[in-house]
Amino acid sequence: MLDTEALHETPEGIALPLRAAGVAPRALAWLVDLGIRAGVFVSLAMPISLLGEAGQGLLLILMFALMWAYPIAFELFMDGQTPGKRIVGLRVVHANGTPVGFTASLIRNLMRTVDALPFGYAFGFASSVIDAQARRLGDLVAGTLVVHADRRHHDQTIPVVPGHVPALSLPADEQALIVAYAERAPQLSEARRIELASLLPVLTQAHGAQAVQRLLGYANHIIGR
Amino acid sequence: MRQDHFIARHEPEWRALSAWLDAAERRKPAPSGSDATCPAAEVPSRFRRLCQQLALARRRGYSPMLIERLGQLVERTHTLMYRPPNPRWWRAIAFIVSEFPAEVRAQRGWMLASALLFFLPFLAMIVAVQVQPELAHSVFDIEQLAQMEHMYDPANDDRIGRDSGTDLMMFGHYIMNNISIGFRSFASGLLVGIGSVLVLVSNGVMIGTVAGHLTGIGYGGPFWRFVVGHSAPELLAIVISGGAGMRLGFALIAPGQLGRVAALLAAGRIGARLILGVFVMLLAAAFIEAFWSSIAALPDVVKYGSGGAIWLTVLVWLGFGGRGRVHAP
Repeated sequence: MLDTEALHETPEGIALPLRAAGVAPRALAWLVDLGIRAGVFVSLAMPISLLGEAGQGLLLILMFALMWAYPIAFELFMDGQTPGKRIVGLRVVHANGTPVGFTASLIRNLMRTVDALPFGYAFGFASSVIDAQARRLGDLVAGTLVVHADRRHHDQTIPVVPGHVPALSLPADEQALIVAYAERAPQLSEARRIELASLLPVLTQAHGAQAVQRLLGYANHIIGR
Repeated sequence: MRQDHFIARHEPEWRALSAWLDAAERRKPAPSGSDATCPAAEVPSRFRRLCQQLALARRRGYSPMLIERLGQLVERTHTLMYRPPNPRWWRAIAFIVSEFPAEVRAQRGWMLASALLFFLPFLAMIVAVQVQPELAHSVFDIEQLAQMEHMYDPANDDRIGRDSGTDLMMFGHYIMNNISIGFRSFASGLLVGIGSVLVLVSNGVMIGTVAGHLTGIGYGGPFWRFVVGHSAPELLAIVISGGAGMRLGFALIAPGQLGRVAALLAAGRIGARLILGVFVMLLAAAFIEAFWSSIAALPDVVKYGSGGAIWLTVLVWLGFGGRGRVHAP
């Protein structure tokens, strides 16, 4: 059960795929947000501190807003994405896949207090590692989920070769497998590409590097190149 | 039906929906071009049709790329369709005036326990420090006490309750510190309630010690004059958020008829409602504390009179606000 994708059926009868995001991208998004918040604070601190002691009061209010209101406001008004989450490609959703609302966002962000305990988000880390959907404690209490929001663009990573009509007519899931192979091909070693391609002698009617080219040709045909 | 026909038949509809989504995702009105003719009122029915088309495409084994494309359209429309509504400000007012007090009363057992955990140590320390003044030194070190004594020195006739600093600076200080404490005393309840209990008791002990010590050395006048104004919203807010936190921790220990996660969800939802009210109370307290409590040059009758009026208002609000109204769950 390494796959974090869960299907949630919507009232319209469609299985919505929710791809839960693990600790690493979430930590990255948090760091980006931290950088943004620090940047906003530092760039506003200079002009505001010219106001003297009253300015210090304003700075404290600004700090409060950056600490508590920043994630809630962005999650609410940017469809579950703080700037950091948007950059990393994450989104906060309810457990049923709908965009996060005010109450849930409030709870999950207040609970950072506990997730950050005893130091450096250790509780949140432990909870994310244990939970199958990588939820931290705040997500559990709020009933939320952080999912990958980036849209996959298959056709961009598939090597361009002349399209080739498969010798056999393939059902949709097998077509998807061919496309997945072609997507992954640039990341594989030559030997591994050939090894995988030669598992399908009947389909490719070829051997070695030629079988690889056949499969890539089928993939290009399937995506309509 | 062949895939080509399927696509040819529905392509304009998908394009129109996609154009509408592009605009709506940026929270702008849809462009009224020739290509994008998808009135907002029609989006729900088009969404249902799209869902049916996706199901058909899957069932008929159309190409993965088409299924992927329709799936993305469905995801985008789903996100927009179920986007939370924009905030309505009259709802916020209705919440504060009636729903929040009703929620506090609904949790009266927890509120009572929380109040005891806070006010018992508070009163006990006031009395104990009168009997045994050295006790103050076991709670605070000598510098903290000296600072406190300086803040409430009766000879200090300009501003009370602070070393220095303008009203606005102290307002920011109270917002940052007090509201953060309020939030944390709720959230730390998730640690099976221990965090909230610790916050309540330690705050009760500390505030009680300060009050007892300053009263004991004859600085009681400025101190009580200072705190009487904002004490009602501030102390009761801490009690409410502590109670909400204990409620949350208890859901973890004894979920009752619900599963543990479901019990946490329910307690979290109650807690969120309570903490919103706590936020407003602490905001009001910070405002009073910074701009009213600190004014030294007011006669006692005004100070204690206004403080009493605020206590009465807060208690009446919490005790009777929203009574006799039917609330949506």
